[in-house]
Amino acid sequence: MASVEKKEEHIKLVLVGDGGVGKTTFVQRHLTGEFEPRYIPTLGVSVHALIFYTNFGKIHFNVWDTAGQEKFGGLRDGYYIQGNCAIIMFDVTSRLSYKNVPNWHSDLTRVCENIPIVLCGNKVDVKDRKVKPSQIVFHRRYNLSYYDVSAKSNYNFEKPFVWLTSKLLGNKSVVLVQQPTLKLPETVIDQNLMSLYEKEVADAAARPLPDDDDL
Amino acid sequence: MSEVEKKEETTTTTVEKTEEKKEETTPAPAPAPATEEKKEYAADDEPNVDYEPTLKRDIVEVKTNEENEEVLFEIRAKLYRFDTDPSPQWKERGTGNVRFLKDKDTNRIRVVMRRDKTLKVCLNHHVSPALSLGEMAGSDKSWVWKCPKDFSDEDRPEGVEELFAIRFASPENAGLFKTEFQRCQAENEKIEKKTE
Repeated sequence: MASVEKKEEHIKLVLVGDGGVGKTTFVQRHLTGEFEPRYIPTLGVSVHALIFYTNFGKIHFNVWDTAGQEKFGGLRDGYYIQGNCAIIMFDVTSRLSYKNVPNWHSDLTRVCENIPIVLCGNKVDVKDRKVKPSQIVFHRRYNLSYYDVSAKSNYNFEKPFVWLTSKLLGNKSVVLVQQPTLKLPETVIDQNLMSLYEKEVADAAARPLPDDDDL
Repeated sequence: MSEVEKKEETTTTTVEKTEEKKEETTPAPAPAPATEEKKEYAADDEPNVDYEPTLKRDIVEVKTNEENEEVLFEIRAKLYRFDTDPSPQWKERGTGNVRFLKDKDTNRIRVVMRRDKTLKVCLNHHVSPALSLGEMAGSDKSWVWKCPKDFSDEDRPEGVEELFAIRFASPENAGLFKTEFQRCQAENEKIEKKTE
């Protein structure tokens, strides 16, 4: 059985960055595995429980996925208060989103004074990259960690959480491990039940899968 | 050979990017299916700073609950689930290795899949003889099946009804998977008959 987690061990992670850089898509990718290519702006904030399985047990992040469109100064302090760690995200195909990183950083650190922060450049799967690796320097000044990431290709997409976990634990040896599988009940599926699903299966089978061929 | 369609709807986010957008005049006819073009990635940067630890934990022994099982077959795949919210569509569920695991005591076989990197479970149910792998329209390397109860979600140990599709790198791999799936079904059927 899953180890008992204490509520007070839930970690508040504040996720900020300009509108459209891919914050919600990134969180959704981790939550369900899906990749949502459409842009649906987040209103206010949505909080999601993101779980990681590590050699130190289950780590429970409450990710505060904030509305990037409100721009700096727009986010209320309540979004930041008692944040244990943060991710500032920009889009490597948008120079403006990188230019705004210092604003997000000062907004955040005004409330959360000394917490581990990761800077992430998202959408590195896109061929026509605008913010080149050599131009990404902001993190050095403030001791943030930095990762190129992609919510589409999953490049580095777990690393921000592993680094944050290691900082919160004060231990470098954090690695992700296999989630325990649930044990299956010994029940048997009734063959007659399956015929009820025939139409549903046929309808779904007629719809194409999302066309990405990276396997 | 299946068409490798070029996606023209790149995931642009429409806002404040119009000036930057170069028109792609040359839809470069890729000489080879160069999916992974040479890309310039920034190096990871992990500064050596310490914070006051907010979590107090020790290293724990990790169990997978697969300790008593034998891996019969393993192949790389992409799994999807059918969702009707907000509209009927297939959504990706995970990419990783799909495996058939046989319990050394009961001999029953289940199918388990974990996502790459985060190693989270995205597929977990018996290879029941009642299930059937159906064809997907327009794809010769995918299968679809209805699963009355999948046990991937640890917060829902009662099981979740799902409609799955799985895609492989090639039609050959899809064929291998189906053959193995059916072989496991036959084995499970013998066991289920006995226990009934």
